Amino acid sequence: MTVTESGTTRANPAVVPAPGPRKRRSWRSGTGEALWGYLLIAPTGLGLAVFYLWPVLQTAYFSFTEWGPFGGHEWIGLENYETLAGDEDVLRALGNTVLYTLVGLLGIPVAVVLAALLNRRGLRGVAVYRALFFLPVVTMPVAVAMVWRWMYNGDYGLLNQALSAVGVEGPHWIADPATALYALALVGIWSSIGYNLVIFLAGMQAIPRELYEAAEIDGAGAVAQFRTVTLPMLSPSIFFVSVVSVIGSLQLFDLVYVIGGSGQTARGNPAYPRIQTVVALFYEKAFVTNDRGYAAAIVMALLLLIVALTAVQFRLQKKWVHYA
Amino acid sequence: MTSRMRHGLAAMVSLVLAVALAGCGDDDEAADGPATLSYAVWDVNQVPVMEELAAAFTKDHPDITVKVQMTPWADYWTKLRAAVSGGEAPDVFWMNGPNFQLYADNKVIAPLDERIKDAKLDLGVYPKALVDLYTFEGKVYGLPKDFDTVGVWYNKELFTAAGVPFPKDGWTWADFKSAAAKLTDPAKGVYGIGAGVGSAQEYYYNTIYQAGGQVISPDGKKSGFDQPASIEGLRFWTDLIKAKQSPDIKTMTDTQPIQLFEAGKLAMYWGGSWNVTEFGKNDYTKTRVDAGPLPMGVKKASIIHGVANVVSAKTKYKNQSWEFVKFLGSQPAAEILGKKGPIPAYNGTQAAWKQANAAFNGQVFLDAVSYAVPYPVSRNTAAWNEAETKHLTRAYNGEVDIETAAKALAAEMNDLLAKE
Amino acid sequence: MRSKHRGTHAVLALSALLMVVPFGWQLLTSVKTLSSATRVPPTVLPEWQWSNYAKVFEQLPFGQQFLNTVLMAAGRTVGQVLFCSMAAYAFARLRFPGRNLLFGVFLAVLMVPPPLFVIPQYEIMADLGWLNTLPALIVPGLFSAFGVFLLRQFFLAMPKELDEAARLDGASPWRIYWSVMLPLARPGLLALAVLAVLWSWNDLFWPLVVNTDPERMTLSAGLAALQGQFQTDYPVLMAGSVLASLPVMVVFVVMQRRVIEGIALSGNKG
Repeated sequence: MTVTESGTTRANPAVVPAPGPRKRRSWRSGTGEALWGYLLIAPTGLGLAVFYLWPVLQTAYFSFTEWGPFGGHEWIGLENYETLAGDEDVLRALGNTVLYTLVGLLGIPVAVVLAALLNRRGLRGVAVYRALFFLPVVTMPVAVAMVWRWMYNGDYGLLNQALSAVGVEGPHWIADPATALYALALVGIWSSIGYNLVIFLAGMQAIPRELYEAAEIDGAGAVAQFRTVTLPMLSPSIFFVSVVSVIGSLQLFDLVYVIGGSGQTARGNPAYPRIQTVVALFYEKAFVTNDRGYAAAIVMALLLLIVALTAVQFRLQKKWVHYA
Repeated sequence: MTSRMRHGLAAMVSLVLAVALAGCGDDDEAADGPATLSYAVWDVNQVPVMEELAAAFTKDHPDITVKVQMTPWADYWTKLRAAVSGGEAPDVFWMNGPNFQLYADNKVIAPLDERIKDAKLDLGVYPKALVDLYTFEGKVYGLPKDFDTVGVWYNKELFTAAGVPFPKDGWTWADFKSAAAKLTDPAKGVYGIGAGVGSAQEYYYNTIYQAGGQVISPDGKKSGFDQPASIEGLRFWTDLIKAKQSPDIKTMTDTQPIQLFEAGKLAMYWGGSWNVTEFGKNDYTKTRVDAGPLPMGVKKASIIHGVANVVSAKTKYKNQSWEFVKFLGSQPAAEILGKKGPIPAYNGTQAAWKQANAAFNGQVFLDAVSYAVPYPVSRNTAAWNEAETKHLTRAYNGEVDIETAAKALAAEMNDLLAKE
Repeated sequence: MRSKHRGTHAVLALSALLMVVPFGWQLLTSVKTLSSATRVPPTVLPEWQWSNYAKVFEQLPFGQQFLNTVLMAAGRTVGQVLFCSMAAYAFARLRFPGRNLLFGVFLAVLMVPPPLFVIPQYEIMADLGWLNTLPALIVPGLFSAFGVFLLRQFFLAMPKELDEAARLDGASPWRIYWSVMLPLARPGLLALAVLAVLWSWNDLFWPLVVNTDPERMTLSAGLAALQGQFQTDYPVLMAGSVLASLPVMVVFVVMQRRVIEGIALSGNKG
């Protein structure tokens, strides 16, 4: 770290006449550089402090309070956390969220395989395929959820209509407690495959051709090359995608809010307890019943879960991620 | 300090406070001057007539304009609560029975007694059940706007095809069940009825009272769900699902009963007088359906409920808001409402509603007033409404039998009522 | 050569079909009547029931919500690109006491799940009287720890000689940032812009919570409200979802390569 050399702060070094060419510039060595540094990070820094850091502390504080139905709150100590530990709804929502996250990870191998196929030498139409796979990524999640709610309709949905054409009677995907969560996870996979695929494809294109050529000389076929060259070289991208996917899945809300049925329509869906995620529960407590103190405690639990699962991933990465 | 001094001091403090509050709250300009009022409503079908009423009001009060703010029913209460706690409550808004006591109890809405007295309004022009619904601890908080009762909407085409006579006054549960059985045609995917669980007002509240049971005791302290008669009222619906004369709950989650009815998949739909607008607009239903009375069990019953206009306790425009609510509760306003909206609450203006909806047998809903049962509420109705859905959904879905579910519900509801 | 890829094409085409069919069905359903949409077995050809679209417009102030969404996305994107690039440049190229600590704090924000911010952010908006206003949609979204992190990687990867040379010519840090670094960081800025637009457009939770007046809602919240009104009237819901998602889809088709490059870049830099 450079300390003041000249001892003067120059707020506007640009107007300082340039001395000899080989001398170190004033702001480089002076407090001027530090000042510029603070100035440049100030907007984002202050914004993050006001709208993100301070709120985190406040949420932590709120988790020890109880709120009235129309605002106003009082300190109640650990009561929310005590209730939380024995609250069936919260525990079930946590379980649903974790299960949803795990099922969601199954989308990664699919995206890797599709990317590998797209990466084959001499394949035509790559841009078209890539664009089609990417379409769900740019579609508004609320719209995606609505479309799938319709696709999944047990009586008139396209999926079951197609199944019945081959003699299979499909379930009520999102109203049946046995299938609802998996049906939801499938939509999650469907809508994120394009994103993952694009990242994997870019990662694959960065793998030096020589590695494949060397493997070919050793007599490795396409599958063996995929296993010995592509996968290890791609492992950092796979790791990145899985971390992003886990953090995203743990915060699932849009799909549940729309497919599960917002507000009134969620009432009477027998599968709703099986698909309610932590963030959906948080939304209900914080903004439907205005039980904000308890809602704050619920997201604190979510934070713990995210930290724990991410830590596990970083711990495991040493075993399988290869950094070139 | 003597007690007189204390009183004197308290009086002075409150005087100072009152002056201070008056100073910052309603300065003279806000009290009577020009204003733009927000008016929150939840029925998209009524937006045009609400705007017409707003315009009619502005004609008499040129410096007050009213902005109608529509939020769909499914989100209305969530958003309203958020708005209230954010200090953004609309000046005037629609209130319903289940939410009223919570809002009055928390002083979110303003009592209107003084103003009613000053304006010499006679509350006798509204059905008593509705005035009572909006009275809390002896004070009236809202002027009734409209009322609704429940009837059976039926598909004439399907009835005729199945050779079943149309619902008529005096028909019984047994008649209803045999009609439902005859109307069900699995090959065509047509069911007699949809036994919805998501909304109590159109469904099981009616049958509970028809069976001689009750949802809540008259003093509002005890659940009625564990009474044998109430359980019969619930079993009415689960039996229909079991007999496959109603789609199962999963089907009705994927496609709600009203949409099934509008697609010709249900021969009957228990609905309210408010459905006239929707069914009159829908291409399929406008020529094919009509309304009949609910069948009677041990006795006749139909749930009556009405919306009231209330004023936010925190509005900047207290006087202007009251003027608007007073206008909405007046006979001219009721006559405008009746032509294009629901049944107006103002006695004697209901004929206009019937005439305006002549395509359907609206008289059914007016006749129901004579045997109507007020919508059951308590101080925190929403809390036990949620418990209802939770327990009954499991029974309707066949996970537990209805008697077990009803008893568990009654136990939880009694706990909740004790906390009020 | 041809035959070698036949199997690959078969798998890819089939998978791509699975991606596209729901959208096709959405379009077809959006112009069907409810009775025909619920026919068993289904009919493919619609009755061209355009009134479904009319119902959406009747229910939603669609134009206004579209404008709100555009302004929100534009505001957030411009703000993020500007503010994040400033901070990212400072973190990557300037030396000042506490730099690493501050960067660590920024990173910490990145790790915290958004629901943790929502209640206090809502309270702040209420205190400022910003509920149901455009600033409520934009302001908290102007700042992004992710954006700083992403762009810092770009600035770090640039050769040191660049700013050395400019500095020797007497340029101030701001000059170097603005005239030397920013133009070179264009791919990074574009990547951030693409992501910011996409995330803003599709954001549901925050707009749903802060702006409850239909005139002030964004399209995603408006669309969710449409379901509140029409429940399971699928033709109307499909019409609404077509309208709400179409704008971004069109932009994507036009700018396809850039969008995908941006995403690929963010994934492999991040």
